[in-house]
Amino acid sequence: MANILTYSRNRCTCVEQVDENTLRATCTLQDTLTDAFVEILVGLPDLEIVDVRCEVKRTEQEPCKDPALSLAKVIGVRIGSGMLKIIKGLVAETTECKQLGFMVEECCHGVILSFTKDVLLVSSPRPTDQEEAREFYGKMVKENIRLYNRCAAFAPGSDLVRGVDPPK
Amino acid sequence: MLKFMRKKTVSVWKKDSRTLIAHGVLDDDIYGIELDVSVNIEDLRISAIEGKWNRWTTPECPRAIPELQRAVGFLIAEPDFSQKAHKVIGRKACRHFANLLLECSHSLREAALLGEWEDRKAAGEEARLGDITAEKAAPPPPPQSPPSAPRAAPVESAACPDEERGIDDKSRVLSADSPGLVIDLHVHTSPASPCSSVPVAEVIEEAKRIGLDGICLTDHNYVWTAPEVAALREEHGFLVLRGNEITTDQGDMLVFGLEEDIKGIIRLEELRKKVLQAGAFVIVAHPFRGFLTFGVGQLGLTPEKAMERSLFQHVDAVEVMNGKVTAKENQFAAEVASGLDLPVTGGSDAHEVSEVGVYATRFYETIRDEKDLIRALRGGNYVPLAYRKEKGF
Repeated sequence: MANILTYSRNRCTCVEQVDENTLRATCTLQDTLTDAFVEILVGLPDLEIVDVRCEVKRTEQEPCKDPALSLAKVIGVRIGSGMLKIIKGLVAETTECKQLGFMVEECCHGVILSFTKDVLLVSSPRPTDQEEAREFYGKMVKENIRLYNRCAAFAPGSDLVRGVDPPK
Repeated sequence: MLKFMRKKTVSVWKKDSRTLIAHGVLDDDIYGIELDVSVNIEDLRISAIEGKWNRWTTPECPRAIPELQRAVGFLIAEPDFSQKAHKVIGRKACRHFANLLLECSHSLREAALLGEWEDRKAAGEEARLGDITAEKAAPPPPPQSPPSAPRAAPVESAACPDEERGIDDKSRVLSADSPGLVIDLHVHTSPASPCSSVPVAEVIEEAKRIGLDGICLTDHNYVWTAPEVAALREEHGFLVLRGNEITTDQGDMLVFGLEEDIKGIIRLEELRKKVLQAGAFVIVAHPFRGFLTFGVGQLGLTPEKAMERSLFQHVDAVEVMNGKVTAKENQFAAEVASGLDLPVTGGSDAHEVSEVGVYATRFYETIRDEKDLIRALRGGNYVPLAYRKEKGF
């Protein structure tokens, strides 16, 4: 019937500081077909995954029903460059349940974004108008040229990269 | 205390017999975005996409909206859809829109499965949803085709200068005009590395143009055959050597002298065993490559703490000049290598023509072939250098 939903999904990823040296990131997924939970513990300052656990309460996918399912292979992986390829590869060795690997990735993204938020909050002086914001982010791309052309905001032609030499 | 929360919701409904629509919302401490994605039920091809920012960071983030149209025509059931979404929408529009697009697309696929299940039941079939899910599971991506067919050409080494003077200080960085043999140890080519856009011939010609003495092809988990590389040497009259950038659970490793074609993710300890058995050499690539908005320093990582990482027990050298990381990250790697007394190298990590030779390694020994390269690497008589900058390119 038109307008009646055929499918719904709700995913929530949270990052919390457990202690000075540990972060906990959780990803909860509830949708029409699946109810699952993944938690990772991340050691600081290395951002190394030191523990992982998961629970699948409801799924229609056989590989995700395996009670012996384990994400343990991601223990020891550091959150950082290339992590998606590493996590996908390691999880694929253990299970064909791609959703669980994706949930680990979401936890890792959450950890990175929690630090991004810190950077944006502690920047001093914080931009208060458009011009200051342009200056702030322009300085950011100059200090980290990896940002250049990483998205539309930092693409050639954007005010944020005006006067910035493309990386060689 | 909670440091960060991201919530995503997706709702899917059937607009008509041919179209499914997903409405996705992403809301977190930093960003607020919405996406409407329409797909054709028959082939799960994106027929329309509209995005909206509710909250964003930079004043230029709104530039992402028109770029979302690049996703129109994508087949969301294709095995490489996720990669395409990251590469096209993530890089040309915004990676948070790419993330929400993946969420919407996965939901659309599951909704389509549910629709098919309902249709089969209505047609009187005894179908289980799990069976349909298994039927529709995406096949593995097709194997990569080699960049060119191996050509039967004689192995002929390019001429190299005679052995030059030795340098003991591994951390010393020399001028590009100093004597020695300058080789870019870290170069990617297309299509061997899917992330590169440069054919090997263009890479070699650029290396020649800027005066490098040689390059190492270090495509991702890709083994060039000896005849292929020999043919390239002969065709271009240039020293082309083979390496391989292998992804391990501890990050990327540049491996020289290992013929085995390693697929998937290998444990570094396991790779180390193979390297030792083959008499090969392993360099940890860009060991401290950080993030887009913060670096390892902001995490409180010190060189002393970083030296404790077990990965350094399994490598022969450290890449301390890499063209894809910041100066601070390269400096950090140099400090760690120095503390561990490990040899250091430089390589551009080029994925574009203009990046070839940004960084390189100067050797003070004759290198005519891969055996010479391994011997030279083992000898430790080399230094990294910022080649392009020092040459004035």
